[in-house]
Amino acid sequence: MSLTITCPVCGKRDGYEFRFGGEDKGPRPEEDSLTPQTWCEYVHLNKSVAGVQKEWWVHKDGCGSWFTIYRNTVMNVEVQESEACR
Amino acid sequence: MVEIKRYSPVSFKASPKRTEIRDNFTVVLEYEGEGQQPFDPSNSKDNYIVDLSHITRFDVQSSNLDDITPFGIKIPQGLCESYLQDSVLINRMNRVQASIFCLPVKKDESSKECQFDFQCSCDSDCKCDPKKSSAYTETTEVGMCMAIFGKNTFSITEKLTSLDFLDPVKKTPFLYQGPMSHIPCQIITLSRDGAKSGIIFTASRGYGKDMTHAIMDAGAEFGLKPAGEDRFKSWAGSL
Repeated sequence: MSLTITCPVCGKRDGYEFRFGGEDKGPRPEEDSLTPQTWCEYVHLNKSVAGVQKEWWVHKDGCGSWFTIYRNTVMNVEVQESEACR
Repeated sequence: MVEIKRYSPVSFKASPKRTEIRDNFTVVLEYEGEGQQPFDPSNSKDNYIVDLSHITRFDVQSSNLDDITPFGIKIPQGLCESYLQDSVLINRMNRVQASIFCLPVKKDESSKECQFDFQCSCDSDCKCDPKKSSAYTETTEVGMCMAIFGKNTFSITEKLTSLDFLDPVKKTPFLYQGPMSHIPCQIITLSRDGAKSGIIFTASRGYGKDMTHAIMDAGAEFGLKPAGEDRFKSWAGSL
């Protein structure tokens, strides 16, 4: 068991119980000024940080909650638990 | 009039000795060779698995679970806490959901009649109406439910899941929502007291056959054997 993730409902669990939901890219772009280019960048482009990044995860084998954590992508460890835990 | 028939998704390689029809399910009360004596925790070395897929189960959803008292019982406030009173087991799944199991506990009592009492803890002039803000879903048909109990319960579960049922921080009964045999389950640990140890768990109905196979295989070295509902009642009554 390398990666453990802290679910806001179930607590610290084996990383294999979760599914990765992508980088947290912030809120959707405003519809009014939305261009195909902006939308394409929002959907498809990732920062792929080598270090700590905020990401979405879902507890697929457990309670089914969606939440964000901060993970060090180099070490593959959770460095800060979900904001929902606080 | 058409008679419906309901089938449990679980079946064991054992011959039923006594059965009864309840809520259109054929409920096995005792299997051949499971032993004549009732479950005695002080003297038991045996481990049993019981199919409880016929027991009535509900999910309740509300934005304000604290104001709802199904069967007159308050829903536990802490996440993943459970509460067993008489024959009703209530498990807090998350902030807005709880699951309810109507267990067959006493020898002379079948599943409890379904009746919901709504009580609001606010002042008398409040405007909230838990009846309107909550929803009950019967989940009996959609899932399988089994119990494993006996001295080696957690030696068996250790072969099936990485969940830590003996975590000293948790107080029984408590709920785990996690994988067992790689299947998402709700697992309630009812007791960790030696030969009285036992769990109840539910999963999606379609996994019934394969989970039974995996559990029986894991429990073979501990002499895990199928038992009828009567043995479950005598175990649950001893808690």
